[in-house]
Amino acid sequence: MASTIVTPGQRLGYAQDFTAGSGTYERDGLLYASVVGVKKVLKDATSHLETITIVREKEQSAVPSVGSMITGKITKVNPRFASVSINVVDSTPCREDFQGVIRVQDVRATERDKVKIYNSFRPGDIVRAQVISLGDARSYYLSTAQNELGVIFAKSVAGETMIPVSWQEMQCPKTKVIEYRKCAKPF
Amino acid sequence: MSRLELLTPEGLRVDGRRPNELRKIIAKTSVLAQADGSAYIEQGNTKVLAAVYGPQEVRHRMQILHDRAIINVEFNVAPFSTSERKKRSKNDKYDNGIKLQTSQFPRSQIDIYLQVLQHDGGTLQACINAATMALIDAGIPMIDYVCASTAGCIDKQPVLDLNYLEESSDSPELTVAILPRTGKVNLMSMESRLHVDMLESVASLATEGCEQIHTILDAVVRDTTQHLKDSLMQ
Repeated sequence: MASTIVTPGQRLGYAQDFTAGSGTYERDGLLYASVVGVKKVLKDATSHLETITIVREKEQSAVPSVGSMITGKITKVNPRFASVSINVVDSTPCREDFQGVIRVQDVRATERDKVKIYNSFRPGDIVRAQVISLGDARSYYLSTAQNELGVIFAKSVAGETMIPVSWQEMQCPKTKVIEYRKCAKPF
Repeated sequence: MSRLELLTPEGLRVDGRRPNELRKIIAKTSVLAQADGSAYIEQGNTKVLAAVYGPQEVRHRMQILHDRAIINVEFNVAPFSTSERKKRSKNDKYDNGIKLQTSQFPRSQIDIYLQVLQHDGGTLQACINAATMALIDAGIPMIDYVCASTAGCIDKQPVLDLNYLEESSDSPELTVAILPRTGKVNLMSMESRLHVDMLESVASLATEGCEQIHTILDAVVRDTTQHLKDSLMQ
């Protein structure tokens, strides 16, 4: 039996034989399904019991959590923070964008007091950042204070894709103008 | 007798059904692109559209529950749903007894919007069934399906799934919603008088109807999920 479709309330087995995974619940010593999906029985290395999980058809959208790496686009900047529209969490695209902010003190790890947002990000840049806090009701708090974090793609004033020349400079291949960004170290 | 003959001597009803027969049920899920889950159900000529949004952030801070989600049900009857076109009648809300595992979504809100497109008796049962299907479509964890059915009593004969004509001719109507797999009763409502001797047979007929509806809805859900199984088998 490879996989079968189960519907909510369907009995899956005895609670003593299996561990309840996601999409299941336990009641009166029995395991039941709570969502529609395909039943999967997984061998667990740590315990001798097998785990039953229900794989749902529509996977829930990726939601940022503290510590996850996100990729997003800078939407606006002001002297205190840059707003980011989060498109990808870890490596899963979000169904809808989340709002995040990179505050001026979270742009880099050193010389935080000398950071200027205008010399770090511009609207339209694609950045990689880490979620440091779930933030306020409106937005997640993000940080780029690591070498691998920062701008990964940016266009110059002339509209060309710029090439990073140092960790805080990018150069336009057409006009050779140097613009300032908090660049991500390639890896 | 001036009264309409609701039950012929042969035991057939006005629409030709037998007393213990349901109306034809057509159910569809994922009918709306915008909603997280949606369903459309037809029980005879009663047509209901349900849309589920959420779990999402609570709109009004005041209402946040820190250990579970709040469920907001909005019920609306289209003005064109009855034979005489009416301006908006009562906009009543009822808790339809849907069994959700709301503790999984603390501080969030689940919105259920119900729209009656055509009213031909048994709106409450159709709404409950539509909401169940929409919640399943949205993938919200539930204890079980919630299936609802009505039963009434015409000339001391228990009848299943009353239509508008039977409903409006002073016959009592009992709506029952159950969790079919455990047989637990979630809701039982009646807005008229019924002799207590008849209650048991009417309630058991309604429960039987719920189980039939469960079979139908379960088949629809399995049918619409078939492609998922196929895609995983590859």
